[in-house]
Amino acid sequence: MIRGAIAVASALLVAFIVLPLAGLVLHVEPRAYLAALSTVSARNALRLSLLTTTLALGLTIAFGTPLAYALARGRFPGRRVVDAIVDLPIVVPPAVAGLALLLVFGRNGTLAPVLRALGIQLSFTTAAVVMAQVFVASPFYVRAARGGFTTSDRTLEDASATLGMGPLRTFALVTVPLAAPALVGGIVLSWARALGEFGATIMFAGNLSGVSQTMPLAVYLDLEGGDVAGATALAVTLVAISLAVVIAVRAPARD
Amino acid sequence: MKRSAFACALGASLVLAALPAGADSDSITVFAAASLKEAFSAAGPAFTKATGTAVTFSFAGSDSLEQQIAQGAPADVFASANETQMRKAASAGLLGSEPKTFARNRLVIVVPKGNPAKIASAADLAKSGVKVVFAAATVPVGAYTRAGLKKLDGRPGYAADFDAAVEKNVVSNELDVKAVATKISLGEGDAGVVYQTDVAPLGASVETIAFPPDSVAEATYPIAVVKTAPDAKGAQAFVDFVLSPAGQAFLKARGFLSP
Repeated sequence: MIRGAIAVASALLVAFIVLPLAGLVLHVEPRAYLAALSTVSARNALRLSLLTTTLALGLTIAFGTPLAYALARGRFPGRRVVDAIVDLPIVVPPAVAGLALLLVFGRNGTLAPVLRALGIQLSFTTAAVVMAQVFVASPFYVRAARGGFTTSDRTLEDASATLGMGPLRTFALVTVPLAAPALVGGIVLSWARALGEFGATIMFAGNLSGVSQTMPLAVYLDLEGGDVAGATALAVTLVAISLAVVIAVRAPARD
Repeated sequence: MKRSAFACALGASLVLAALPAGADSDSITVFAAASLKEAFSAAGPAFTKATGTAVTFSFAGSDSLEQQIAQGAPADVFASANETQMRKAASAGLLGSEPKTFARNRLVIVVPKGNPAKIASAADLAKSGVKVVFAAATVPVGAYTRAGLKKLDGRPGYAADFDAAVEKNVVSNELDVKAVATKISLGEGDAGVVYQTDVAPLGASVETIAFPPDSVAEATYPIAVVKTAPDAKGAQAFVDFVLSPAGQAFLKARGFLSP
Protein backbone atom coordinates (compact mmCIF):
# COMPACT_ATOMS: atom_id res chain seq x y z
CA MET A 1 0.00 0.00 0.00
CA ILE A 2 2.64 2.49 1.12
CA ARG A 3 5.01 1.17 -1.50
CA GLY A 4 2.39 1.64 -4.19
CA ALA A 5 1.76 5.22 -3.08
CA ILE A 6 5.47 5.95 -3.17
CA ALA A 7 5.72 4.51 -6.67
CA VAL A 8 2.75 6.51 -7.97
CA ALA A 9 3.91 9.79 -6.43
CA SER A 10 7.46 9.31 -7.72
CA ALA A 11 6.31 8.35 -11.19
CA LEU A 12 4.01 11.36 -11.42
CA LEU A 13 6.73 13.85 -10.47
CA VAL A 14 9.30 12.26 -12.78
CA ALA A 15 6.78 12.32 -15.63
CA PHE A 16 5.99 15.95 -14.86
CA ILE A 17 9.66 16.84 -15.16
CA VAL A 18 10.44 14.64 -18.15
CA LEU A 19 7.41 15.38 -20.33
CA PRO A 20 8.05 19.10 -20.97
CA LEU A 21 11.74 18.44 -21.64
CA ALA A 22 10.86 15.57 -23.97
CA GLY A 23 8.37 17.85 -25.71
CA LEU A 24 11.19 20.34 -26.25
CA VAL A 25 13.39 17.67 -27.82
CA LEU A 26 10.57 16.30 -29.99
CA HIS A 27 9.84 19.81 -31.24
CA VAL A 28 13.23 20.01 -32.93
CA GLU A 29 13.87 19.00 -36.53
CA PRO A 30 17.47 17.89 -37.06
CA ARG A 31 18.13 20.15 -40.03
CA ALA A 32 16.57 23.22 -38.44
CA TYR A 33 18.48 22.38 -35.28
CA LEU A 34 21.87 22.47 -36.98
CA ALA A 35 20.97 25.62 -38.91
CA ALA A 36 19.84 27.38 -35.74
CA LEU A 37 23.02 26.41 -33.90
CA SER A 38 25.32 27.60 -36.66
CA THR A 39 24.26 31.25 -36.39
CA VAL A 40 26.79 33.67 -34.95
CA SER A 41 24.54 34.70 -32.08
CA ALA A 42 23.86 31.08 -31.10
CA ARG A 43 27.56 30.24 -31.07
CA ASN A 44 28.34 33.42 -29.17
CA ALA A 45 25.72 32.51 -26.57
CA LEU A 46 27.03 28.98 -26.21
CA ARG A 47 30.64 30.12 -25.83
CA LEU A 48 29.71 32.88 -23.42
CA SER A 49 27.61 30.57 -21.25
CA LEU A 50 30.42 28.02 -20.98
CA LEU A 51 33.02 30.70 -20.27
CA THR A 52 31.04 32.60 -17.65
CA THR A 53 29.72 29.56 -15.79
CA THR A 54 33.27 28.15 -15.62
CA LEU A 55 34.59 31.41 -14.19
CA ALA A 56 31.67 31.69 -11.79
CA LEU A 57 32.23 28.15 -10.60
CA GLY A 58 35.95 28.76 -10.08
CA LEU A 59 35.24 31.86 -7.98
CA THR A 60 32.53 30.05 -6.05
CA ILE A 61 34.86 27.18 -5.15
CA ALA A 62 37.79 29.48 -4.33
CA PHE A 63 35.80 31.68 -1.96
CA GLY A 64 32.97 29.34 -1.01
CA THR A 65 35.12 26.49 0.31
CA PRO A 66 36.80 28.53 3.08
CA LEU A 67 33.45 30.10 3.94
CA ALA A 68 31.71 26.74 4.13
CA TYR A 69 34.54 25.40 6.29
CA ALA A 70 34.32 28.37 8.63
CA LEU A 71 30.55 27.98 8.91
CA ALA A 72 30.82 24.26 9.59
CA ARG A 73 33.73 24.26 12.02
CA GLY A 74 34.29 27.81 13.18
CA ARG A 75 32.93 29.17 16.43
CA PHE A 76 32.71 32.89 15.92
CA PRO A 77 30.16 35.48 16.95
CA GLY A 78 27.39 35.98 14.38
CA ARG A 79 27.96 32.62 12.74
CA ARG A 80 24.25 31.91 12.58
CA VAL A 81 23.59 35.30 11.03
CA VAL A 82 26.26 34.78 8.38
CA ASP A 83 24.86 31.31 7.80
CA ALA A 84 21.41 32.76 7.09
CA ILE A 85 22.74 35.60 4.94
CA VAL A 86 24.65 33.20 2.71
CA ASP A 87 21.38 31.46 1.85
CA LEU A 88 19.56 34.71 1.02
CA PRO A 89 20.28 34.82 -2.73
CA ILE A 90 18.36 31.54 -3.08
CA VAL A 91 15.10 33.17 -2.00
CA VAL A 92 15.64 36.62 -3.51
CA PRO A 93 13.99 36.87 -6.96
CA PRO A 94 16.76 37.02 -9.60
CA ALA A 95 15.56 40.33 -11.01
CA VAL A 96 15.83 41.81 -7.52
CA ALA A 97 19.33 40.38 -7.23
CA GLY A 98 20.23 42.09 -10.51
CA LEU A 99 18.82 45.39 -9.34
CA ALA A 100 20.72 45.08 -6.05
CA LEU A 101 23.97 44.45 -7.94
CA LEU A 102 23.26 47.45 -10.15
CA LEU A 103 22.61 49.70 -7.16
CA VAL A 104 25.95 48.74 -5.59
CA PHE A 105 28.27 48.05 -8.54
CA GLY A 106 26.52 50.18 -11.19
CA ARG A 107 27.85 53.40 -12.64
CA ASN A 108 25.97 55.44 -10.05
CA GLY A 109 25.97 52.73 -7.40
CA THR A 110 27.28 52.81 -3.86
CA LEU A 111 30.77 51.72 -4.91
CA ALA A 112 30.81 53.95 -8.00
CA PRO A 113 33.49 56.38 -6.68
CA VAL A 114 35.88 53.51 -5.96
CA LEU A 115 35.21 51.76 -9.25
CA ARG A 116 35.54 55.00 -11.20
CA ALA A 117 38.88 55.74 -9.55
CA LEU A 118 40.04 52.32 -10.67
CA GLY A 119 38.68 52.92 -14.17
CA ILE A 120 36.30 49.99 -13.93
CA GLN A 121 32.79 49.85 -15.36
CA LEU A 122 31.00 46.63 -14.56
CA SER A 123 27.46 46.96 -15.89
CA PHE A 124 26.99 45.68 -19.46
CA THR A 125 30.18 43.59 -19.31
CA THR A 126 30.99 39.90 -19.25
CA ALA A 127 32.34 40.42 -15.72
CA ALA A 128 28.84 41.49 -14.70
CA VAL A 129 27.45 38.22 -16.08
CA VAL A 130 29.91 36.28 -13.91
CA MET A 131 29.08 38.41 -10.86
CA ALA A 132 25.36 37.81 -11.32
CA GLN A 133 25.99 34.08 -11.60
CA VAL A 134 28.19 33.94 -8.50
CA PHE A 135 25.59 35.92 -6.56
CA VAL A 136 22.68 33.63 -7.34
CA ALA A 137 24.54 30.31 -7.61
CA SER A 138 27.27 30.29 -4.95
CA PRO A 139 24.85 29.62 -2.03
CA PHE A 140 24.05 26.22 -3.51
CA TYR A 141 27.72 25.25 -3.27
CA VAL A 142 28.29 26.80 0.16
CA ARG A 143 25.25 25.04 1.61
CA ALA A 144 26.30 21.66 0.29
CA ALA A 145 29.96 22.09 1.28
CA ARG A 146 28.98 23.27 4.77
CA GLY A 147 26.92 20.11 5.16
CA GLY A 148 29.80 17.97 3.98
CA PHE A 149 32.29 19.56 6.39
CA THR A 150 29.84 19.29 9.28
CA THR A 151 29.14 15.59 8.91
CA SER A 152 32.55 14.24 7.89
CA ASP A 153 34.41 12.17 10.50
CA ARG A 154 36.71 14.41 12.48
CA THR A 155 38.67 11.64 14.19
CA LEU A 156 40.42 11.02 10.88
CA GLU A 157 41.55 14.65 10.78
CA ASP A 158 42.80 14.37 14.33
CA ALA A 159 44.70 11.24 13.38
CA SER A 160 46.23 13.04 10.44
CA ALA A 161 47.34 15.89 12.72
CA THR A 162 48.76 13.42 15.24
CA LEU A 163 50.78 11.83 12.47
CA GLY A 164 52.41 15.17 11.83
CA MET A 165 50.54 16.56 8.82
CA GLY A 166 50.06 20.31 8.78
CA PRO A 167 46.57 21.82 8.76
CA LEU A 168 46.66 22.63 5.03
CA ARG A 169 47.76 19.13 4.05
CA THR A 170 45.19 17.64 6.41
CA PHE A 171 42.53 19.80 4.80
CA ALA A 172 43.54 18.88 1.25
CA LEU A 173 44.26 15.18 1.83
CA VAL A 174 41.71 14.26 4.50
CA THR A 175 38.93 16.79 4.94
CA VAL A 176 38.20 17.46 1.26
CA PRO A 177 38.16 13.79 0.21
CA LEU A 178 35.83 13.02 3.12
CA ALA A 179 33.45 15.79 2.09
CA ALA A 180 33.88 15.08 -1.63
CA PRO A 181 30.38 13.73 -2.35
CA ALA A 182 28.81 16.83 -0.82
CA LEU A 183 31.27 19.14 -2.57
CA VAL A 184 30.60 17.54 -5.95
CA GLY A 185 26.85 17.74 -5.41
CA GLY A 186 27.19 21.43 -4.55
CA ILE A 187 29.39 22.07 -7.57
CA VAL A 188 26.84 20.53 -9.92
CA LEU A 189 23.88 22.39 -8.40
CA SER A 190 25.71 25.70 -8.32
CA TRP A 191 26.99 25.37 -11.88
CA ALA A 192 23.56 24.38 -13.18
CA ARG A 193 21.96 27.34 -11.45
CA ALA A 194 24.53 29.66 -13.02
CA LEU A 195 23.94 28.14 -16.46
CA GLY A 196 20.20 28.85 -16.23
CA GLU A 197 20.64 32.35 -14.79
CA PHE A 198 18.42 34.92 -16.52
CA GLY A 199 16.87 37.65 -14.38
CA ALA A 200 19.91 38.99 -12.58
CA THR A 201 21.96 38.80 -15.77
CA ILE A 202 19.60 40.86 -17.94
CA MET A 203 19.21 43.42 -15.15
CA PHE A 204 22.88 43.87 -14.29
CA ALA A 205 24.77 42.80 -17.42
CA GLY A 206 22.20 43.67 -20.08
CA ASN A 207 21.83 41.73 -23.28
CA LEU A 208 24.44 41.95 -26.04
CA SER A 209 25.56 39.10 -28.25
CA GLY A 210 29.14 38.05 -27.46
CA VAL A 211 29.32 40.16 -24.30
CA SER A 212 26.39 39.42 -22.03
CA GLN A 213 23.88 37.38 -24.04
CA THR A 214 24.10 33.96 -22.40
CA MET A 215 22.09 30.98 -23.64
CA PRO A 216 18.98 31.61 -21.53
CA LEU A 217 18.87 35.21 -22.81
CA ALA A 218 19.35 34.08 -26.42
CA VAL A 219 16.55 31.54 -26.03
CA TYR A 220 14.23 34.24 -24.70
CA LEU A 221 15.15 36.71 -27.42
CA ASP A 222 14.64 34.11 -30.16
CA LEU A 223 11.24 33.32 -28.74
CA GLU A 224 10.35 37.01 -28.56
CA GLY A 225 11.31 37.43 -32.18
CA GLY A 226 9.07 34.53 -33.17
CA ASP A 227 12.03 32.25 -33.96
CA VAL A 228 10.68 29.17 -32.20
CA ALA A 229 13.04 26.85 -34.10
CA GLY A 230 16.07 28.84 -32.96
CA ALA A 231 14.81 29.03 -29.40
CA THR A 232 14.11 25.31 -29.10
CA ALA A 233 17.45 24.40 -30.72
CA LEU A 234 19.33 26.48 -28.14
CA ALA A 235 17.11 25.23 -25.32
CA VAL A 236 17.68 21.60 -26.23
CA THR A 237 21.43 22.22 -26.35
CA LEU A 238 21.28 23.84 -22.94
CA VAL A 239 19.39 20.86 -21.50
CA ALA A 240 21.75 18.38 -23.17
CA ILE A 241 24.85 20.09 -21.80
CA SER A 242 23.39 20.22 -18.30
CA LEU A 243 22.39 16.58 -18.43
CA ALA A 244 25.80 15.47 -19.72
CA VAL A 245 27.62 17.38 -16.99
CA VAL A 246 25.34 16.20 -14.20
CA ILE A 247 25.73 12.58 -15.28
CA ALA A 248 29.47 12.78 -15.88
CA VAL A 249 30.22 14.45 -12.57
CA ARG A 250 27.92 12.30 -10.48
CA ALA A 251 28.73 8.94 -12.03
CA PRO A 252 31.95 8.22 -10.10
CA ALA A 253 30.51 9.54 -6.86
CA ARG A 254 27.48 7.24 -7.04
CA ASP A 255 27.04 3.64 -6.00
CA MET B 1 -7.51 13.67 10.10
CA LYS B 2 -4.55 15.93 9.86
CA ARG B 3 -3.44 14.19 6.69
CA SER B 4 -6.81 14.50 4.97
CA ALA B 5 -6.94 18.19 5.88
CA PHE B 6 -3.56 18.59 4.23
CA ALA B 7 -4.79 16.70 1.15
CA CYS B 8 -7.89 18.88 1.00
CA ALA B 9 -5.85 22.05 1.27
CA LEU B 10 -3.45 20.85 -1.41
CA GLY B 11 -6.33 19.89 -3.70
CA ALA B 12 -8.14 23.16 -3.15
CA SER B 13 -5.05 25.24 -3.81
CA LEU B 14 -4.34 23.30 -7.00
CA VAL B 15 -7.88 23.97 -8.22
CA LEU B 16 -7.54 27.64 -7.30
CA ALA B 17 -4.19 27.91 -9.07
CA ALA B 18 -5.62 26.34 -12.22
CA LEU B 19 -8.55 28.74 -12.45
CA PRO B 20 -7.87 31.55 -14.91
CA ALA B 21 -7.48 34.83 -13.06
CA GLY B 22 -10.63 36.93 -13.27
CA ALA B 23 -12.75 34.12 -14.65
CA ASP B 24 -15.96 35.69 -13.37
CA SER B 25 -18.18 37.18 -16.06
CA ASP B 26 -17.64 40.84 -15.23
CA SER B 27 -13.90 40.92 -15.62
CA ILE B 28 -11.60 41.19 -18.62
CA THR B 29 -7.87 40.85 -19.14
CA VAL B 30 -6.13 43.34 -21.41
CA PHE B 31 -2.73 42.50 -22.89
CA ALA B 32 -1.10 45.85 -23.54
CA ALA B 33 2.30 47.10 -24.71
CA ALA B 34 4.62 48.13 -21.88
CA SER B 35 4.50 51.77 -23.00
CA LEU B 36 0.75 51.89 -22.28
CA LYS B 37 1.21 51.09 -18.61
CA GLU B 38 0.56 54.52 -17.10
CA ALA B 39 -2.25 55.54 -19.46
CA PHE B 40 -4.16 52.25 -19.26
CA SER B 41 -3.67 51.87 -15.52
CA ALA B 42 -5.25 55.28 -15.09
CA ALA B 43 -8.05 54.55 -17.56
CA GLY B 44 -8.91 51.16 -16.00
CA PRO B 45 -10.91 52.43 -13.01
CA ALA B 46 -12.84 54.86 -15.23
CA PHE B 47 -13.75 52.01 -17.59
CA THR B 48 -14.90 49.87 -14.66
CA LYS B 49 -16.96 52.75 -13.31
CA ALA B 50 -18.61 53.33 -16.70
CA THR B 51 -19.33 49.70 -17.58
CA GLY B 52 -19.25 47.71 -14.35
CA THR B 53 -16.62 45.41 -15.87
CA ALA B 54 -13.42 44.95 -13.90
CA VAL B 55 -10.21 45.04 -15.90
CA THR B 56 -6.81 43.45 -15.29
CA PHE B 57 -3.79 44.47 -17.33
CA SER B 58 -0.80 42.45 -18.41
CA PHE B 59 1.92 44.79 -19.63
CA ALA B 60 4.92 43.50 -21.58
CA GLY B 61 6.71 43.93 -24.90
CA SER B 62 4.16 43.66 -27.73
CA ASP B 63 6.10 40.77 -29.24
CA SER B 64 5.91 38.67 -26.08
CA LEU B 65 2.22 39.48 -25.72
CA GLU B 66 1.58 38.34 -29.28
CA GLN B 67 3.49 35.12 -28.53
CA GLN B 68 1.52 34.56 -25.34
CA ILE B 69 -1.81 35.04 -27.11
CA ALA B 70 -0.66 32.66 -29.86
CA GLN B 71 0.08 30.11 -27.12
CA GLY B 72 -3.47 30.45 -25.81
CA ALA B 73 -3.10 32.97 -22.98
CA PRO B 74 -6.56 34.05 -21.72
CA ALA B 75 -6.49 37.60 -23.09
CA ASP B 76 -9.64 39.52 -24.01
CA VAL B 77 -8.01 42.52 -25.65
CA PHE B 78 -4.65 43.03 -27.37
CA ALA B 79 -3.21 46.55 -27.55
CA SER B 80 0.08 46.58 -29.48
CA ALA B 81 2.74 49.27 -29.82
CA ASN B 82 3.09 48.62 -33.52
CA GLU B 83 1.26 47.28 -36.53
CA THR B 84 3.72 44.46 -37.14
CA GLN B 85 2.71 42.50 -34.05
CA MET B 86 -0.98 43.19 -34.67
CA ARG B 87 -0.67 42.02 -38.30
CA LYS B 88 1.07 38.89 -37.05
CA ALA B 89 -1.80 38.25 -34.66
CA ALA B 90 -4.33 38.90 -37.43
CA SER B 91 -2.70 36.57 -39.94
CA ALA B 92 -2.48 33.85 -37.27
CA GLY B 93 -6.25 34.15 -36.84
CA LEU B 94 -5.96 35.35 -33.25
CA LEU B 95 -8.20 38.42 -33.56
CA GLY B 96 -11.95 38.69 -33.06
CA SER B 97 -12.31 42.23 -34.36
CA GLU B 98 -10.77 44.55 -36.95
CA PRO B 99 -7.72 46.31 -35.38
CA LYS B 100 -8.24 50.04 -34.83
CA THR B 101 -5.53 52.63 -34.32
CA PHE B 102 -6.14 54.37 -31.00
CA ALA B 103 -2.95 56.34 -30.38
CA ARG B 104 0.38 57.44 -31.75
CA ASN B 105 3.64 57.99 -29.94
CA ARG B 106 6.87 59.78 -30.70
CA LEU B 107 10.36 58.49 -30.09
CA VAL B 108 12.88 60.58 -28.16
CA ILE B 109 16.48 60.18 -27.07
CA VAL B 110 16.90 60.05 -23.29
CA VAL B 111 20.12 60.70 -21.41
CA PRO B 112 20.76 60.49 -17.66
CA LYS B 113 20.51 63.70 -15.66
CA GLY B 114 23.58 65.83 -16.35
CA ASN B 115 24.09 64.18 -19.75
CA PRO B 116 27.46 62.53 -18.91
CA ALA B 117 28.34 61.73 -22.53
CA LYS B 118 27.39 65.26 -23.72
CA ILE B 119 24.86 64.13 -26.31
CA ALA B 120 23.62 67.22 -28.15
CA SER B 121 21.78 65.59 -31.05
CA ALA B 122 21.05 62.22 -32.63
CA ALA B 123 24.37 62.52 -34.48
CA ASP B 124 26.26 62.18 -31.18
CA LEU B 125 24.90 58.64 -30.68
CA ALA B 126 27.62 57.55 -33.12
CA LYS B 127 30.47 59.23 -31.16
CA SER B 128 32.93 56.58 -30.11
CA GLY B 129 32.66 55.47 -26.49
CA VAL B 130 29.02 56.45 -26.01
CA LYS B 131 27.17 53.67 -24.21
CA VAL B 132 23.88 53.29 -26.04
CA VAL B 133 20.99 51.22 -24.65
CA PHE B 134 18.27 50.21 -27.10
CA ALA B 135 15.35 47.83 -26.97
CA ALA B 136 16.02 44.62 -28.90
CA ALA B 137 15.19 44.82 -32.60
CA THR B 138 12.32 42.37 -32.05
CA VAL B 139 10.58 44.85 -29.74
CA PRO B 140 8.57 47.55 -31.60
CA VAL B 141 10.48 50.48 -30.13
CA GLY B 142 13.77 48.78 -31.06
CA ALA B 143 12.58 48.31 -34.64
CA TYR B 144 11.32 51.92 -34.92
CA THR B 145 14.61 53.18 -33.53
CA ARG B 146 16.73 51.31 -36.04
CA ALA B 147 14.50 52.20 -38.99
CA GLY B 148 14.75 55.85 -37.97
CA LEU B 149 18.54 55.83 -37.61
CA LYS B 150 18.83 54.30 -41.06
CA LYS B 151 16.86 57.21 -42.50
CA LEU B 152 19.51 59.59 -41.14
CA ASP B 153 22.36 57.84 -43.01
CA GLY B 154 24.11 60.28 -45.34
CA ARG B 155 22.13 63.36 -44.32
CA PRO B 156 24.14 66.53 -43.65
CA GLY B 157 26.00 66.01 -40.39
CA TYR B 158 25.51 62.22 -40.52
CA ALA B 159 27.91 59.68 -41.96
CA ALA B 160 26.74 57.29 -44.68
CA ASP B 161 27.05 54.41 -42.23
CA PHE B 162 25.65 56.37 -39.28
CA ASP B 163 23.23 53.65 -38.21
CA ALA B 164 25.99 51.00 -38.23
CA ALA B 165 28.21 53.27 -36.12
CA VAL B 166 25.43 53.71 -33.56
CA GLU B 167 24.78 49.97 -33.52
CA LYS B 168 28.46 49.47 -32.58
CA ASN B 169 27.88 51.65 -29.51
CA VAL B 170 24.96 49.56 -28.29
CA VAL B 171 25.90 47.96 -24.96
CA SER B 172 22.57 46.26 -24.36
CA ASN B 173 19.43 45.18 -26.21
CA GLU B 174 16.75 45.37 -23.55
CA LEU B 175 13.58 43.30 -23.53
CA ASP B 176 11.15 46.21 -23.48
CA VAL B 177 11.02 49.97 -23.54
CA LYS B 178 10.63 50.30 -19.76
CA ALA B 179 13.88 48.43 -19.24
CA VAL B 180 15.64 50.94 -21.50
CA ALA B 181 14.13 53.79 -19.50
CA THR B 182 15.26 52.19 -16.22
CA LYS B 183 18.84 51.67 -17.38
CA ILE B 184 19.13 55.29 -18.47
CA SER B 185 17.46 56.72 -15.38
CA LEU B 186 19.90 54.71 -13.24
CA GLY B 187 22.70 56.23 -15.29
CA GLU B 188 24.08 52.91 -16.51
CA GLY B 189 23.83 53.88 -20.17
CA ASP B 190 24.73 57.24 -21.75
CA ALA B 191 21.76 57.39 -24.10
CA GLY B 192 18.69 55.39 -25.02
CA VAL B 193 15.63 55.71 -27.18
CA VAL B 194 12.18 55.49 -25.62
CA TYR B 195 8.69 56.77 -26.35
CA GLN B 196 7.85 60.32 -25.38
CA THR B 197 5.27 58.84 -23.00
CA ASP B 198 7.92 56.91 -21.08
CA VAL B 199 9.72 60.09 -20.09
CA ALA B 200 7.23 61.64 -17.65
CA PRO B 201 7.32 58.75 -15.13
CA LEU B 202 11.13 59.08 -14.95
CA GLY B 203 10.86 62.58 -13.52
CA ALA B 204 14.07 64.55 -13.20
CA SER B 205 16.35 61.53 -13.57
CA VAL B 206 16.62 61.97 -17.34
CA GLU B 207 16.83 64.67 -20.01
CA THR B 208 15.41 64.31 -23.50
CA ILE B 209 16.74 65.16 -26.95
CA ALA B 210 14.46 65.20 -30.00
CA PHE B 211 15.19 63.35 -33.22
CA PRO B 212 15.52 65.45 -36.36
CA PRO B 213 12.16 65.92 -38.13
CA ASP B 214 11.08 63.13 -40.54
CA SER B 215 13.64 60.66 -39.32
CA VAL B 216 12.31 58.33 -36.68
CA ALA B 217 8.79 57.24 -37.49
CA GLU B 218 5.92 57.76 -35.13
CA ALA B 219 4.73 54.61 -33.45
CA THR B 220 1.16 53.57 -34.22
CA TYR B 221 -0.88 51.71 -31.59
CA PRO B 222 -3.62 49.34 -32.79
CA ILE B 223 -6.12 47.60 -30.51
CA ALA B 224 -8.39 44.59 -31.13
CA VAL B 225 -10.54 42.01 -29.40
CA VAL B 226 -8.86 38.62 -29.10
CA LYS B 227 -10.74 35.84 -30.92
CA THR B 228 -10.63 33.47 -27.96
CA ALA B 229 -11.62 36.22 -25.52
CA PRO B 230 -13.30 34.71 -22.45
CA ASP B 231 -15.54 37.80 -22.41
CA ALA B 232 -15.88 39.13 -25.96
CA LYS B 233 -18.58 41.63 -25.04
CA GLY B 234 -16.52 43.14 -22.24
CA ALA B 235 -13.54 43.19 -24.57
CA GLN B 236 -15.42 45.13 -27.24
CA ALA B 237 -16.62 47.54 -24.55
CA PHE B 238 -13.01 48.19 -23.54
CA VAL B 239 -11.97 48.80 -27.17
CA ASP B 240 -14.90 51.22 -27.60
CA PHE B 241 -13.98 52.97 -24.37
CA VAL B 242 -10.35 53.46 -25.44
CA LEU B 243 -11.52 54.99 -28.75
CA SER B 244 -14.11 57.22 -27.03
CA PRO B 245 -13.31 60.80 -25.95
CA ALA B 246 -13.24 59.65 -22.31
CA GLY B 247 -10.61 56.99 -23.04
CA GLN B 248 -8.63 59.25 -25.37
CA ALA B 249 -8.34 61.84 -22.59
CA PHE B 250 -6.30 59.39 -20.49
CA LEU B 251 -3.94 58.73 -23.39
CA LYS B 252 -3.54 62.43 -24.14
CA ALA B 253 -2.80 63.14 -20.47
CA ARG B 254 0.18 60.76 -20.69
CA GLY B 255 1.62 62.35 -23.80
CA PHE B 256 0.16 60.15 -26.54
CA LEU B 257 -0.84 61.76 -29.82
CA SER B 258 -4.39 61.17 -31.01
CA PRO B 259 -4.83 58.61 -33.84
